[in-house]
Amino acid sequence: MRAEFTSTLRQFRGQIISWGLALFLLSLMLVPFYESITGNQSQLLGYLESFPEEFTAFFGDFTSMGTPQGYLDIEYFSYMPLLIGIFAVLAGSGLIAADEEAGRLDLIAAQPLSRTRFFVSRVLAFISASIVIVFFGWLGMVLLLGKSGMDLTPAQLVLPFIPVLAYIFIFAALALVLSMLMPSRKLAASVSGLLLVADFFIQGFSNLITDLEPIARFMPSHYFQGGYAMDGLDLGPVLALSGLALALALLALWRYRVRDLRVGGEGGWGMSWLKRCQPATDSIS
Amino acid sequence: MDLAKYDRLHLKPARLYFIPIFEIPWNSFDFPQSGSAWDEFVGFQFLERQACFRSDGCFLVKWSRLHNDAIAWRPLLMNPQPAIMLRDLVKSYGEVKALRGVDLAVEEGEIFGFLGPNGAGKTTTIRCMLDLIRPDSGQIQILGLDPQQNPVAVHARTGYLPGELNLDGNLTGRAILHYFHELRGMGSNTARALELAERLDVDLNLPIKNLSHGNKQKLGLIQALMDEPRLLLLDEPTSGLDPLIQRELLQILAEARESGATIFFSSHIISVVEHIANRVGILREGKIIEVAETSDLLKRAVRRALIRFRHPVDVSLFKELPGVSILSEDGGLSVLLQVTGDMEGLIKQLAQQPVIEIETERPSLEEIFMTYYDAKESEA
Repeated sequence: MRAEFTSTLRQFRGQIISWGLALFLLSLMLVPFYESITGNQSQLLGYLESFPEEFTAFFGDFTSMGTPQGYLDIEYFSYMPLLIGIFAVLAGSGLIAADEEAGRLDLIAAQPLSRTRFFVSRVLAFISASIVIVFFGWLGMVLLLGKSGMDLTPAQLVLPFIPVLAYIFIFAALALVLSMLMPSRKLAASVSGLLLVADFFIQGFSNLITDLEPIARFMPSHYFQGGYAMDGLDLGPVLALSGLALALALLALWRYRVRDLRVGGEGGWGMSWLKRCQPATDSIS
Repeated sequence: MDLAKYDRLHLKPARLYFIPIFEIPWNSFDFPQSGSAWDEFVGFQFLERQACFRSDGCFLVKWSRLHNDAIAWRPLLMNPQPAIMLRDLVKSYGEVKALRGVDLAVEEGEIFGFLGPNGAGKTTTIRCMLDLIRPDSGQIQILGLDPQQNPVAVHARTGYLPGELNLDGNLTGRAILHYFHELRGMGSNTARALELAERLDVDLNLPIKNLSHGNKQKLGLIQALMDEPRLLLLDEPTSGLDPLIQRELLQILAEARESGATIFFSSHIISVVEHIANRVGILREGKIIEVAETSDLLKRAVRRALIRFRHPVDVSLFKELPGVSILSEDGGLSVLLQVTGDMEGLIKQLAQQPVIEIETERPSLEEIFMTYYDAKESEA
């Protein structure tokens, strides 16, 4: 199990570096501007008021820009679900299906490692990779925190990253379960990505259109606390999202345990009407 | 104890061997006593005396490093059940029926060639054996174990080479072997993998993406063989290998068999099958249509023989020979014959003729198939 965990983590190396570096630089760039932004808050507010309401609805309450929590929420955490959600969807949909579609899984699955242990190893490696990426985001904020004029401690800054992790887990688990149910990784990633974007926009527009509020309640970002978690983390939504992610991961595990491993074209949804339109595959020899 | 029915086998140090308890005639699970036939077992350390009787009817023993040069007696039959037993295996992919009731038994210690054209169901059969895919119906027993119930136990005893080998291109050969080594729980002893790499002439320090198809195939073979498993399932093992390496591989497989391994492989290359397989099974459209000794199969094959004579002869003589038909002739100076089965009668007849040249074509596997299929269709 350790071998599979290590190997998967190594496969995440590129994503850890690219996503981690991106979050690190974004965080690093953001913190020093706090004082200059708050110094010109009234001017900035006037400027932001010129933006259409449909635009500003996605970024929260601009009047709170004067507090570190509000500033980081608007400038960083408000769009973080969408940004980091891309990583979650790509990583989750490819966690097992990428090797399967590349024809590598056949040999790995023939080794003396149960499907459950293999699955758990990979999920644990993904969780570790996510934590490392988020850690880089936190590190970028903490490095220049002392010179930023923000009255925050490094420990306080950990708190808003916890809902970020929960958000990663929920979309990764969704993409993972879809990759186990759908005929291809691309389809699973597309559907999950669509839901990710829908989640962001429905939540944003629900601030303007009250009719959308009942729908928004079913969206993960409705429970995303953002920068205000620094004032006190609301564990309920975090646990609820993590619990749902766990349930989806268990569903994916069940599916992975009982289904055939595909090798180039096997499996699918058994839509015979669709297959008649496609050339026959000879990959079953 | 009748030792006459036992083979002598050189056991290798630091390896686990499985010996069926029914072949060990002692009472109350005592250790072998000195001064008896059990002296041959000197050097074994019996592990976990009470717990070593396994569900598959085997007794777990470990060879002691202190007695590397000793020889032990090994039961001729390691397991009362076949190494591979498939019964009425059916597998469909939607409307495509890949397997239509495959029945097969492969004995332990046997080298079995699995033949069939593309799409016949060879890979599907092998993947069912490893529980990579599940049959719609039918039974599978691998070394006495049901792969659906005990996949890990089956995988631990099996080395597998997939038909379409794909490895992580960013890793070096050494790293990928290390990965599989760890997955198999083989500890830090990589000596066997390195030995195989040397014999198959593969550079383990290059990234896999820079390797040729043949060299990737060698890595696949090493990972299958390095654990010295009891069963080898090899899907087209010689694919992409040059003739010299093919010969080395056949030697390695022969050695594995001598150590008691069962080898089940699919191949399209008749010389490979002929050299190594004890028996072959022919699969056609998801059904086993024949299981035969390799020599029997080759006898059924059609060969072509072009014979040139010093001066014209009466070629109608050849028509009378069993299994021989004339395809073409050139005024009695040459004749192209088709020969089914052995060529003994033809050779005797030719000895009486002024032959100056004989050209024979070895049958391709396809020709064997066709001969065999034609025969089956005629029977039908």
